[in-house]
Amino acid sequence: MPDRPCESGFLLRQASGGGFLPAKRPLTWLVVGLATFGITVLVLAALGPDVPRAIATIATTSFRTRNGFVQTLLKLVPVSLMAFAFTIPLGAGKYNIGGEGQLLAGAIGATAVGLFAASLPRPLLVPFVLLVGVVMGSLWGFVPGWLLHRFGVHEILTTVLMNFVALHLVNYVAADLWPDPFAGHPTTIPIAREAFLPLLLVRPPLHCGPVIAILVGVAVWIYCCHTVAGFELAACGANPRASKVFGIDVRRASLSSLMIGGGLAGLAGALEVAGVHHRLLEGMQSNFQTLGILTGLIAGGDPRRVLPVAFFLSVLEVGAGALQRTMRAPIEVVFLVEAFVLVAVLVSDRAGRWRS
Amino acid sequence: MTETAAPILSMRGVAKNFGLQTALQGVDFELARGEVHGLVGGNGAGKTTLMNILYGMYRMDHGELKIDGRPATIRSPAEALRLGIGMVHQHFLQVPGLSVLENIVLGTTVSRPLTMDLTVEARTISRLADQFGLALDLNEPIEGLPVGVRQKVEILKALYRDVRILILDEPTTNLTPQEADQLFSTLRQLVSRGLSIVFITHKLKEARRACDRITVLNEGRQVVTLPGTTDQETIVRAMVGDRLDPGKSVLFTGSRGDETDRVSPKEVVLALDRVFVTGEGPIDRLVDISFEVRSGEIVGVAGVARNGQGELADAIVGLETPRSGTVLFNGHNAGHNAGLLTIAQRFQNGLAYVPDDRIRDGFLPTADVISNLILGSQDRPPLSRAGFLCWRKITDTARGLIDRFHITVADLSQPAGDLSGGNIQKLILARAFARQARLLVAHNPVRGLDLAAIEHVYQELLALKRMGSATLLLSENLDELMLLSDRILVLYGGRIAGTAARGAFDRYELGRLMSGAGPTV
Amino acid sequence: MTGSFSFAGFAQLMLFSMVPFVLAAQGTMLGGRAGVFNVAQEGIMLASASLGFLVAFKTGSVALGFGSAMVLGGLSGLVLSLGSTILGMNQFVIGITLTLAGLGLSTLMPKLAIGVTLTPPLAPTLTNNPIPFLGKMPVLGEVLFRQNVLVTFTVLVSIALWYVLFRTSAGLILRATGENPMAVDALGLDVFRIRHIAVMIGGMLIGLAGAYLPLAYTGTFTEGMVKGRGWLSIALAFFGGFEPGRIFWGGLFFAAVEVLAYRVQIGGSWVPYQFILMLPYLATMGVMALSSRRSRIPGFLGKNYDRERRSTSSQGQG
Repeated sequence: MPDRPCESGFLLRQASGGGFLPAKRPLTWLVVGLATFGITVLVLAALGPDVPRAIATIATTSFRTRNGFVQTLLKLVPVSLMAFAFTIPLGAGKYNIGGEGQLLAGAIGATAVGLFAASLPRPLLVPFVLLVGVVMGSLWGFVPGWLLHRFGVHEILTTVLMNFVALHLVNYVAADLWPDPFAGHPTTIPIAREAFLPLLLVRPPLHCGPVIAILVGVAVWIYCCHTVAGFELAACGANPRASKVFGIDVRRASLSSLMIGGGLAGLAGALEVAGVHHRLLEGMQSNFQTLGILTGLIAGGDPRRVLPVAFFLSVLEVGAGALQRTMRAPIEVVFLVEAFVLVAVLVSDRAGRWRS
Repeated sequence: MTETAAPILSMRGVAKNFGLQTALQGVDFELARGEVHGLVGGNGAGKTTLMNILYGMYRMDHGELKIDGRPATIRSPAEALRLGIGMVHQHFLQVPGLSVLENIVLGTTVSRPLTMDLTVEARTISRLADQFGLALDLNEPIEGLPVGVRQKVEILKALYRDVRILILDEPTTNLTPQEADQLFSTLRQLVSRGLSIVFITHKLKEARRACDRITVLNEGRQVVTLPGTTDQETIVRAMVGDRLDPGKSVLFTGSRGDETDRVSPKEVVLALDRVFVTGEGPIDRLVDISFEVRSGEIVGVAGVARNGQGELADAIVGLETPRSGTVLFNGHNAGHNAGLLTIAQRFQNGLAYVPDDRIRDGFLPTADVISNLILGSQDRPPLSRAGFLCWRKITDTARGLIDRFHITVADLSQPAGDLSGGNIQKLILARAFARQARLLVAHNPVRGLDLAAIEHVYQELLALKRMGSATLLLSENLDELMLLSDRILVLYGGRIAGTAARGAFDRYELGRLMSGAGPTV
Repeated sequence: MTGSFSFAGFAQLMLFSMVPFVLAAQGTMLGGRAGVFNVAQEGIMLASASLGFLVAFKTGSVALGFGSAMVLGGLSGLVLSLGSTILGMNQFVIGITLTLAGLGLSTLMPKLAIGVTLTPPLAPTLTNNPIPFLGKMPVLGEVLFRQNVLVTFTVLVSIALWYVLFRTSAGLILRATGENPMAVDALGLDVFRIRHIAVMIGGMLIGLAGAYLPLAYTGTFTEGMVKGRGWLSIALAFFGGFEPGRIFWGGLFFAAVEVLAYRVQIGGSWVPYQFILMLPYLATMGVMALSSRRSRIPGFLGKNYDRERRSTSSQGQG
């Protein structure tokens, strides 16, 4: 019997709703692995002749070259942050589907600082860029949170609606407000060099984002498992009514969970601007929200599993990109594989619960 | 009460597990034609489970079932109904938003399904209602109706479907003594018209009064079947074995003990003055409530459900704010406006609470047992410091509570929702008794517990009194209130209909007050 | 706003545009009345748009396009229903998964079936079916009686749903299932089967709504062409209190806002047009904020029903 619930059956994981907790048994993971592998083979076989090569491409591109590995780490940053942006509100029983908009809001904020506050000394500038990103993302989470708090409007809808607002806002900023006249696609002028994130590696360029992502992961874990606020958040997810009866301010917890989630997504946006693109460009949100949600669900809401799962999905994505370039298979292949992994995890968890 | 050759119902060797928890281990049960057969035992004894199996809501793992001497398998309520078995559940299965008539005909074949013209059905049901003395207005929406009326609807639902076997699960839970009398006479009418009845209850007095035979279940085993005239002590011994010594128990001696009686109340802990609480409509749910609770005192609040007890508890805990009047807790303003204590602050100030609907209002089913035990105390020392949880202290405290309250937990990391109903109740009570509270607000605290556990809780309540805590005990069980309280207030229609002091408790007088009849003196 | 603005033209466009909103919202309502909360509309509509377009393109038949979209929608409803009833999985999670799957499928299918082309492929589209006599009326004729067949269908479906829900025995049972499935179960009815049927038919309506976009609007499929209408349809179902009549009128309102926004975009104004385009979404949020007190949603919406469950856990809002 474990000494602390946190070691094996943490409240947050369980509070994320009955039905998608990955079982701990190795047998389950084996079944998941085999099912995924089988589906992948079938899908690839349907799309192209050389299955072993396709699988090899997907699985090993990240590890074959230095560039591949760097690409994977660069993807890991936004995917893991977006996963946290989804799982933290999920622990409180709230569905944040607005990560995309929150990321873009953070990116807009970061771009503004990068363009107009460049005279700040560098040790202050970069953190300030990131901070504004967090604040903007948090604001984008605050609006649905407040509508929920004050009017009881379901956050699934408001977070999604805010995504669309953000998309239009990005278009305005990138195409009309601070546009780069030489770009063929709505993009802003680049931010000042001083605002770029410091690099860990120069060739190929790897910014310090992964370090930040790991630090965030640790902070999230401490928050969820060891603070009163984290406990109360998870209690709200488990039974909002009982939490309210026993003194927890449920509506405030929901609001703050959405703001924290938004802030993390905003951080992802700021990191993309300051570390990768060095400007705001339309479409920069890519499919990070999708991957983040997938990661969060596969990790079962457990903060300790987010980073490994995010890494796994990043490997798949990088591999898929390579697959598309070399074998001209459609990029959705990997997406289907990822979806099947999720389904396999969900189903195997249900099956595991039946057996007990 | 005449017995014919074959029993109408025979269940043999019924076993049922829920995951790792065993609910029934090889129970035999027989129902004779035209009898009222009581099924007695605490929650967790298996009575409701056994009848849910009969009604097709659960599937038994082993066992055989015979109706009219012929073997039968019942896999769903549809099949049970077809065999003529009907059930009135403890928590009425009625659909809000629909009328009485619609609730009764739901699921049956109606004469005009495409227009929902129910005049034919209404006539049939009215006739049935008159036959059995269950007259009521069919077109009323079911939501606002009093419990006694809603129970009649449940019975009518079964009668409309021509049942021959009727199961009643804890039917007197929310009835006044007078309404309970009415129910018993209805039962006699039903039997005289050929029904056979299973009467599930944990109240021995009722079982002895209404039933021809009584089967005692204890922890999933059938202990014995006795005639309804058996004396109470024998039945009690059958229910609890030797876990309880009737000679020493509060329950069975009917006394609190001299030491407890000698404790006199001291300073005022809770004071309500002219409190009004509004409800959803224009009618106030609490009207002009004024009373005090002192340390070392147990104040009982009697009343049928929905007469304001819930609102009173909510107002004291902080879930409701009165529209006027003052509530003072420990001298702090707990009523309204400036300086109002939040719920969390009240807990910090020594409030403890056992809610009426424990699962809905006091339980985190997907969280583990330890987390459930600290709910409400997690935000201050010793369980946390500066916003960080002290897991070692938490685990120690939790283990202590588990031992003290005999909570059976197979695995500490399992979701608490997997525990049996009785253990869940114990958990929620343990949490309230964990620290010596300044004020304990307990609403129906022992509902759902078996006798030994009830005894334990009563002992804890009396210990609290001796230690100087104040207790507000809201209960629908008049016997319990009369046993434990120093004073009793009766709530009817949101008002205090009357009070009584210990030594002058009169059961039927209190019952009259509970049904709004007004004091006789 | 520049250019001529005729009320009749505006109203006709409004009725034309309300179809995807109303159909998808009615589909959501139907499943919701049984207690199943479908959040996959965006993905289902996209996938149905893609499939409907492809089938119409390959076969030349608009009817087959719509038919295949209905089948896809119904199947996805079945997946949601089976997953939440028999497997007991969380409804939101299934919905999000279906959304993602739908998004992926919607771009994958055209690539597989057609590949990349220089010019967008065109499929046949729905034409207006003017009703002979009434269509010639001055204002009303243009608005009401010179629309395509799906507009008429949507109006009729809304009326039919209202009647079935509130005036028939089946509707009574459906409503009861969403409020208190345990009561329905104890009366001998099959809760799961009711959910399957409701969600499947609901899914079919959602599929129809999706296919309307290529097959009535543009004649081709473009990535992301649903543009948030799926999510807006959920908002509409809530806003309408899960009641077919209110949903219909609310759908007209949403369509009106959409049409207005595009008029302004074309017409030009001193406010950057992107902010005008944000209006539908902001308006929706505002409307939901104001109406959420009054609207009544089915009591068991989003919760799974498990007959043998010993304690209930609350999912979604408490």
